[in-house]
Amino acid sequence: MRATNTVLSCQNLSVGYKKSTVLSGINLDFEASQFISLLGPNGAGKTTLLRTLSRHLAPISGNITLQGRPLASIRQSELAKVMAVVLTDKVTPPLFTAFQFVALGRYPHTDFLGRMGKRDKEVVARSLSAVNAENLAHREFTNLSDGEKQKILVARALAQEPQVLLLDEPTAHLDLKHRVEVMSILRNLCATQNITVIASLHDVDIAAKVSDKVVLIKNGTITGWGAPEEVLSSSDVAELYDFDSACFNSQLGSIELRGENNREKIFVVGGMGSGASVFRILAKSGYQISTGVLYNNDLDCYVAESLGCKCASQVPSNSINNTSLDQAMEEMKNCDWVIDTGFDCTGVYKNNLQLLTGACRHGKPVISLGNRDPQLFVGGHLAHIVSLAQASELPAALERN
Amino acid sequence: MSETASTMPFTTVKPSILGLPAIFCLLLVAACAVVVLNVCTGAVAIPIPHIWNILLHPDDTIISSIIWDIRLPRAIASVLGGGFLAVSGLLLQVYFRNPIVGPFILGISSGATLMVSIVMLTTLTIRLQIMSPIITTLAAIVGAYSVMFIVVSVAAKVKSGVTLLIVGLMMGYLCHSVTAVLTALAEKEQIKGFILWQLGSFSGFKWGEIQLLLILGGGLLILIYLLSKPLNAMLLGEEYALSMGININRFRIFILLSACTMAGLITSLAGPVAFIGLAVPHMARMIFSSSDNRILIPATLLLGGVVTSLCDFIARTIMSPVELPLSAITALFGAPIVISLLMKKRVQL
Repeated sequence: MRATNTVLSCQNLSVGYKKSTVLSGINLDFEASQFISLLGPNGAGKTTLLRTLSRHLAPISGNITLQGRPLASIRQSELAKVMAVVLTDKVTPPLFTAFQFVALGRYPHTDFLGRMGKRDKEVVARSLSAVNAENLAHREFTNLSDGEKQKILVARALAQEPQVLLLDEPTAHLDLKHRVEVMSILRNLCATQNITVIASLHDVDIAAKVSDKVVLIKNGTITGWGAPEEVLSSSDVAELYDFDSACFNSQLGSIELRGENNREKIFVVGGMGSGASVFRILAKSGYQISTGVLYNNDLDCYVAESLGCKCASQVPSNSINNTSLDQAMEEMKNCDWVIDTGFDCTGVYKNNLQLLTGACRHGKPVISLGNRDPQLFVGGHLAHIVSLAQASELPAALERN
Repeated sequence: MSETASTMPFTTVKPSILGLPAIFCLLLVAACAVVVLNVCTGAVAIPIPHIWNILLHPDDTIISSIIWDIRLPRAIASVLGGGFLAVSGLLLQVYFRNPIVGPFILGISSGATLMVSIVMLTTLTIRLQIMSPIITTLAAIVGAYSVMFIVVSVAAKVKSGVTLLIVGLMMGYLCHSVTAVLTALAEKEQIKGFILWQLGSFSGFKWGEIQLLLILGGGLLILIYLLSKPLNAMLLGEEYALSMGININRFRIFILLSACTMAGLITSLAGPVAFIGLAVPHMARMIFSSSDNRILIPATLLLGGVVTSLCDFIARTIMSPVELPLSAITALFGAPIVISLLMKKRVQL
């Protein structure tokens, strides 16, 4: 974290267009070979900031320095050797092979007629292989899929041999495969080629996992800046995007969508990850969910909290204690259904079986997702137990009964 | 990597059947052949050995005058003029990243026509007659610049390619209507020359005008060729071009000025000629299977020359002794090319 590592920095920067300032008070230092994500809702100014950093837009006030020199003082041709961009503009040059397209990126390095030397060709080939696109080299650019085009666009930028790579929404419009592939390519560029990658991104969950630093942008200023582990707390993300029906879980690095909560109350007995998918299925269908007893280091516990379920939990130990069980039992009495996820009842969650037998005792209908021994429910109303093979059949089973 | 190319035959860019130098040689030969063809044919039948003799030893006979003062300047002018128009079209297509533009479509030729009509039809001429070719050329270039300025300022506001075309067409109609009013008000003697000029023709070219073409056009052409590298970068759009190190403002002005100067120059001397600037760059792209401007600039120059001369030959001979307007012939092949490009979805607006 020495100061000499700083590649690009902004001091008191304000960016925007002639009449309106979009972002102000920007003070950021981007370090070498880091992956930096710009996050924020649409229209927050991510693109405006990127365009200012790439000098497509003049700053309204403040300074930008690139490798210690004022950005404004660098010649355009010199800048092109240090900084490259991947924009959102649709590019459709006719009759270009992917190789020729990437070769355009050699622009700042070739002579006045753009002739390609041996080294230029090597760099183009290396850029293609850095984005796993050697096999696309001889295909016509306009015939490639969106994901393939994006990789070629990144390769073109790499052919400039930049130290800083700016990307505006590099994963927009891509399918999941290419989204993941492009992100891991970019991640690799930081690690292996010491390139500083600055990208505006939409997916908080991916950004949290690949970025070294994230910049949160909202309401005309930077609301957060630092390592995603520090900056991306659940509440920060909720505030950034004005979430009310979703929740970002910083431990899991993922977003859970909350349901409508306008249907019957369901009590789920789970544990060891067996409940997570059941919670999501129920939340999708709009049921109110309660669950317990879960150890608070269980995956089910994290997911339940993200989904806003009522959760009876306790600290991890060898067995569920009675206080927690009573608490869960009370909650269960208020519920219309009980769902047994088919959790492992031989280990630390053994005591939760008492919740199932209790459910039968109180006449609650039970849906079981595991092959439970009917003996377990001795004394209960066996008629209320429905066995299901798959969790996905749950909503239909609930409707039927 | 050549193996991957052969496994995906239908998506690769097909390399030209012949090598680059071979196609260029063919085009060069074709250009010379059309010049010879144009010199050898005409209303007065002159045997070829005789023509050869006169070319080597000009004399004071009428035949010599026909060859040296009428046919040869016209043949050379049509090659040069067609080539320059085509290059002007290529520049505009690169600038606007729109394949359906050309000096005629964007109203540049019409702007030039309007200014020429002002010079030719109003009394201005009487005083300035001595400097006529230079004056009409200047007027045409000024007209071309003015229309271009309007079209570009509209293009900066609206990104749609269709809107750009419509603005160009409307500018064309506006200029035509003013020209029509001027024609209606003008005196009879002045109209005749103007009407003939307006049909578009390379007849009546003088050596002085060819010199002007060679010096002004040739100089520009060399400059344009030297800028083929940034022109290639412009294919990705201005934003990318800037990020690759191009001084975009200076470069933008240069492209527009040179495209307009070329188009204005030809229009002032030969009248408005349609479709060459639009269709020839596409023909060159198809023949060379390339968008590389380092290839396309010389290719459109040669091809534009060949095509225009051929059209001129057809215009002159097909209904002989009646000479057809050149634009009628160029549109006959140019319009179908544009339509077929749109049908094949090679072109997106």
